[in-house]
Amino acid sequence: MTSLDKNVGAVKKVLTSEDVLVFEFISAGGKKFAAVYADDICDKNMIGELAVKPLRDVKKGDGFDKVRMLLASPEFKESNKIRDAIKEISDGNAVVFVDGESDFCILGLKKPPARAITEPPTQIAVSGPREGFIEDIKTNSGLVRKRIKSPALQIKQIKSGKRSDTNIAIVYIEGVCPKGLPERVEKEIAENKIDIIPDSSYVSSFISKRPRSLFKRCASAEKPDVFCAKVCEGRVGILVDGSPIALTVPYMIVEDFQTSEDYYTNSYRATVLRIIRAISVLIGMFLPAIYVSAQLFKIQLIPFRLLLKISSSVQGIPLSPSIEMFLTLLVLEVLNEASIRMPKYVGLALSVVGALVLGDTAVKAGIISTPAIIIIAFSAICLYTVPDFAETTTTLRWIFLIIAGSIGPFGVVVLSAFLIGYLVTENSYGTPLLAPFAPLVKGDLYDSVVKANMYSLKNRPGALRVGDKVRFKNENKR
Amino acid sequence: MKISVRQICFILIFYTAASKFLQYPPMLSAYSGRDLLFSALFGFAADCAAIWAVAFLSSRTDKTFYELLKDNLGTVAARIVYGFFAAFFILITILPLFEQKQFVHAVFYDTTPPMWVFLPVFLFLVYVSSKGFTNIGRCAEVCMPIFILMTIALYAMSFGEAKFSNLLPLFKTPLPQILGGSLRTSYYFAEPAYLLMFMGHYKYKKHDAAKLTLSYAAGAVIVLVFLALFYGIYAGIASSRQFAITKTALFFSATEMVGRIDLLALYVLETVMLFALVLNIQLAVHCIKTCSDFEYPEIISLCVNAVLLIILTVFNHDYTAIRRFYAGWVWIAVILFTIVIPAAAWLLKRRRDET
Repeated sequence: MTSLDKNVGAVKKVLTSEDVLVFEFISAGGKKFAAVYADDICDKNMIGELAVKPLRDVKKGDGFDKVRMLLASPEFKESNKIRDAIKEISDGNAVVFVDGESDFCILGLKKPPARAITEPPTQIAVSGPREGFIEDIKTNSGLVRKRIKSPALQIKQIKSGKRSDTNIAIVYIEGVCPKGLPERVEKEIAENKIDIIPDSSYVSSFISKRPRSLFKRCASAEKPDVFCAKVCEGRVGILVDGSPIALTVPYMIVEDFQTSEDYYTNSYRATVLRIIRAISVLIGMFLPAIYVSAQLFKIQLIPFRLLLKISSSVQGIPLSPSIEMFLTLLVLEVLNEASIRMPKYVGLALSVVGALVLGDTAVKAGIISTPAIIIIAFSAICLYTVPDFAETTTTLRWIFLIIAGSIGPFGVVVLSAFLIGYLVTENSYGTPLLAPFAPLVKGDLYDSVVKANMYSLKNRPGALRVGDKVRFKNENKR
Repeated sequence: MKISVRQICFILIFYTAASKFLQYPPMLSAYSGRDLLFSALFGFAADCAAIWAVAFLSSRTDKTFYELLKDNLGTVAARIVYGFFAAFFILITILPLFEQKQFVHAVFYDTTPPMWVFLPVFLFLVYVSSKGFTNIGRCAEVCMPIFILMTIALYAMSFGEAKFSNLLPLFKTPLPQILGGSLRTSYYFAEPAYLLMFMGHYKYKKHDAAKLTLSYAAGAVIVLVFLALFYGIYAGIASSRQFAITKTALFFSATEMVGRIDLLALYVLETVMLFALVLNIQLAVHCIKTCSDFEYPEIISLCVNAVLLIILTVFNHDYTAIRRFYAGWVWIAVILFTIVIPAAAWLLKRRRDET
């Protein structure tokens, strides 16, 4: 048995799957080679271009040095350990074994199937860039590199997942990012040994101090412009292979209320929109609870004329206000869930069934009152003005509704106070979740509820405790 | 540092005011009549002086009050003093807690609800009071915009109905009665004791004593304006108007059109009132933790709140008697812990400097 057969055999012994292919070829001088690669995720044409063609001229007596010289691949590694070969083949690269040599070459020819770069579905912008991350980490890193050409940009590659061996890139800017933060993130990811990491949400749990909390500890970005802006502010970005959603830490709740468009439009308009978003979230969370509390415990909260309207609407409704609201909210959540999961062509039918059959008929039949439907619909619309925070707020809406129906308005107040008491001491990598409000960071208030003009945002967020504080210098001193 | 001067300033402005919006105005009206502003002024002036004294003491030392006591009087004495402070903070929480319960029952519900409706507040109290000074400071910062917006809204709704001439002529009430009113409502004034507890936990910078004193004065002004509004609206019957803040915006003309938006503002303001209430318990827990060296504030908080819950349950129907007891006796403790001890603390420091 030749050394070539021995090496290939050793690999095939471990990688028994049929999609791991062996391509044997002989040079004009009679030297034998074998390229081993995983079908579908390796660029087969490039094996011909970068390995077969250059190696044509190798003579039988030529050593490994000659082979190495001829392989002009931009991503080239060599090794003599079979476990390296196995790892690289699994990763999508090609391994070229040479007859009579224990050393082998690894060619970076990974080409996993990837979709085209499109606009992300949840972070849509009217003005500003429309590119979104895709599932391929290399493309995503490229999108970041395209925007940040600084030599200080660091993209640290690590792997996680016992079986998936998923590539994770930790992105930061040296000198801007707080010292030790990338290492901390890396350590926390490395501490978690899990079989597979199918999405960045897994990594999000790994890097959260309290993974069971209702409030997340890292922000997500689907757009490279948002991601790069956050990295430039001093945050650490995390790209996960297979996920179009990138993560950034440290996280502050106020981030969810900021959209990329705020920075591309007039600052006054952006401020108005942010205030609207904040008010909308409050309305969305509290409106069903206040309505139920008012109906059950404090009727004076409802204006008299509105009360007359409501009383005529609720007349004959067999359910109590809290049960009625609870059921309406349940229907909304079911419709929401179904509309996401259902095939698009059924979606229209679902809307008709949801809006007309369930809504209209339920009202006409006197099972649910019109105000309940209006309130729940408005609440849902309000919460989706801040989609990144909707996961938390929709859950809180349920809790507030249950409390309002059982304890009344005081329960809602106590729960709100409890949430404040809880949130003020929570942090994400040392940055308080409620910053810049608690603790108050004066400079950061210019980019919180208020979106000041670019000339007022000369410093990076103080709450992040970054290395280089100044991000903008204007020579005209405007 | 666990707490900043700015955060303490917020506590002194907003918690000072929020804790005096419910029963303080009608009680003061009962004792001092139309001269209630002078009664309040006496209380605030005395506390202003005490706050300045404690703040100034902070400029002379980086030590906490406990360390100062330990250095001067020894560990045992320091522990005893802190034990008494814990008892004091619990004592001055009891009546406001009863007031909160009455307030909640009267304002949050159309019909008087069962007592258990108020009990969820203890979950909040147990949780928050187990947190340290960082939590206290940051909560005050969150309370700041809430308090400003809601107070402005409530004041604006009340202003049109106030007839300030009701406060005239001035000094119609005899001076001893004015002073008596001030003394008998003194359990609403514990701010110098708060500052004593914060000593050494914040970094003192130049002019901070002035900032702290002025902040307290700002809180006092908010209360004085409210007292004027309240008496301006109700005059002679002010003493019978319970939970003053709920009564001032009652006659706002737009209420008919938009509903009781004053109640919504009150509900939001209640959050600040709860944080003002929990501050006493947080400080009681801090005192017990410091003097006992017990490392688990959660357990201390649980025990302190259990005591408060028992008192609240046992004396559920005795609010008037408790109020009478507080008006009759608690002022002695208040003067001791908010005026005498802060002054004595200053003396201790000077004595140590001389040696």
